[in-house]
Amino acid sequence: MDFRWEQEYLEFRDELVGFLRAWRTPELLAEYDRGEGTPGPAMRSFYEALDARGWMRMCWPVEYGGEGRDPLYRFIFIETMEYWGMPYGDLTFTSVAPTLIAFGSETQKKKYLPGIFKGEVRFALGYSEPNAGTDLASLRTQAMRAGDDWIIQGQKIWTSLAESSTHIWLAARTNPDGPKHQGISVFIVPVDAEGVSIRPLHTMSGLRTNETFYDGVRVPAENLVGPVDGGWNIVMYALNFERVGLAAVGDLAREFDLFVAYLKERRPELLDDPVTRTRLAELKVDLHRQRALATRNAHAIASGGIGIGEASMAKVHGSELRYRFSNTAMDLLGRYGALSEESGALAPIDGGMELTWRMSPILRFGGGTNEVQRTIIATRHLGMPR
Amino acid sequence: MDLELTETQTIFRDTIRKFLEEEVPFSRVRELEKQQRSDEALWATLGAQGWLGVALPEEADEGGLIEAGLLVEEVQRRAALVPVAEAISCAVTLQRHGSRERAPELVERILSGEMTVVPAILESVDRFGEVAAEVNDDGLLSGEKFFVDYASIATHHLVAAQCRGAVGLYLVDRGQSQIETTSTPTLGRTPAAHVRYQNASAEQLCGEDGHAFLIQFARVLCAVQALSCMQVALEMSVAYTSIREQFGQLIGTFQAVQHHAADMAIDTESTRFLVYETLDALDRGEASEEQVAVAKAAASRAVPEVVMLAQQLHGGQGFIEENDLYFFTLRGKERSLAWGTTEECLALIGRSVEAPERWL
Repeated sequence: MDFRWEQEYLEFRDELVGFLRAWRTPELLAEYDRGEGTPGPAMRSFYEALDARGWMRMCWPVEYGGEGRDPLYRFIFIETMEYWGMPYGDLTFTSVAPTLIAFGSETQKKKYLPGIFKGEVRFALGYSEPNAGTDLASLRTQAMRAGDDWIIQGQKIWTSLAESSTHIWLAARTNPDGPKHQGISVFIVPVDAEGVSIRPLHTMSGLRTNETFYDGVRVPAENLVGPVDGGWNIVMYALNFERVGLAAVGDLAREFDLFVAYLKERRPELLDDPVTRTRLAELKVDLHRQRALATRNAHAIASGGIGIGEASMAKVHGSELRYRFSNTAMDLLGRYGALSEESGALAPIDGGMELTWRMSPILRFGGGTNEVQRTIIATRHLGMPR
Repeated sequence: MDLELTETQTIFRDTIRKFLEEEVPFSRVRELEKQQRSDEALWATLGAQGWLGVALPEEADEGGLIEAGLLVEEVQRRAALVPVAEAISCAVTLQRHGSRERAPELVERILSGEMTVVPAILESVDRFGEVAAEVNDDGLLSGEKFFVDYASIATHHLVAAQCRGAVGLYLVDRGQSQIETTSTPTLGRTPAAHVRYQNASAEQLCGEDGHAFLIQFARVLCAVQALSCMQVALEMSVAYTSIREQFGQLIGTFQAVQHHAADMAIDTESTRFLVYETLDALDRGEASEEQVAVAKAAASRAVPEVVMLAQQLHGGQGFIEENDLYFFTLRGKERSLAWGTTEECLALIGRSVEAPERWL
């Protein structure tokens, strides 16, 4: 046992932080903050600078432009980007890219991976349907073979970022007759393909999500990822990697640091109160717990597994801590805690706490509800009976 | 970074586990508890066979604390009534902070089991910073110590006392008539006592740094004991709900039951990381007081939650003393209070909450 990060990881972290300090400009943050995801000029040049250093692809195999570094570098990269609130491609980077590397064809890897690390290829995830949410395997969007092509017919929901993405990573039913887990396949669907339409849904977090409709959308056979009817494992693999991002401690740690700094500067009388300090100490212990769970998960992945139990534990604890943290912070701030960004200078941390609170439900039910995660922990990690 | 035990550490843990499983049936612990005795036979065997010192380097300021943690964890898994954590915390404190002339010999005698030394730190106010016990100019120690674990079977106490305002650790031979020990039975059913010293002969072995180290080290070892209770409670709950049937099915298939177990696992595994990480840092002299407090607060807060859920999942079966669960429920809570409660550790963390934190 040795809990120290080796020097090379720390050097990488410091180099990355130095780089981010230079690139974290108000223009870039404003562009990223609009949340629409489409890179503007500041984000485009940031992605170019990132690409020049090769950091988004460093953990990928050499033949796809990477350096074959171990996945702990990716963990440090994600955590650091999350801490500094910088764009790095989100789920396209954390979930789709590693899944493509594991299951994609040579052609697909050569075609999509370079675009991913340049920020040019951006995926929205097409999993859920109105009647297939947590019970994802009940999905009914159909893909039917038509010569060398596939024709897709159906509807997806919660297709977040579809409006700014180039592709949809779509799970569709290719065999309606067999067991439901064994009749699903994964397709890459260009957002601009004929027959794809997008209808916005507005959430209380302020972020937009979408319904997407597929009306006779024709995609070539080369857009099928992995084997026909073999999509369920691919989706599970991708979801597990999705949880790595969801489980990060980075952005919560930053909010904690910002919150304490705010109290120190603007509300010293609150920070002098031992009750406030005890509350902050509780949150700090929980943040360290999250750091522990996220680090364990990264190590499970680095040692060759996909860390099913580890990912689920980190996801459950991290998402519930997000709520607990913002809720406590708002309670400490009193009515100021509810002031949103539009309130201007009066709003603590630009309304960051109320925003985090408003955002917190999605991380608990999204990416596989926490109830499903707990069942996974119990059955697959602890070995309880099914 | 390597989060797994090394091969040597795994062998060490497995060997001590097997040895203790054979040596310490729970029935024996029950019997000793009733008689309010400690396990003197086991204690003699542990010393004679060299288990206490096996992982500690003979003359070094580094190494061995993870192994010490593993030993303490395994001993706690059997609910064994022996002062392993107490003796090791004294030995390592002396090894690293004791007087050069006296420490090597004493450490050897402690680790061989020839001497049994336990810390005597807290006083009636139950605050680690406050030391009223005093050593006069003739080297005689007077004062009262509370919550001294295994006080009555120890041959010596390592007592925190001040001499002309300077706090240090003093070795006091318990065989003197100037020492009065009163048993204070506790929830955990481990022997603890209130001790009164009246002009007892005392030998100074450490200064303020030794006193501070002892508290930090014993605090982490106590967190290991709490962790051990959580771990066993979780394992027992998984095992029990995997064989117990109600409504014609195993209760472990019910989601309500599974979700309790999942929460227990999250608490236990995150605590395990933090506790061993802290031991590792302490071993190299890199653990801040705050890091130690985070580990202990994590363990102290989680252990009652986990053991109470274990009780819930066991129902009446876990509530009767024929079942082994109560050892871990009661000891777990006892350990959550010892060497710094949740509130004490949170206060300590809170005091320096503005200090920049390394999150990675």
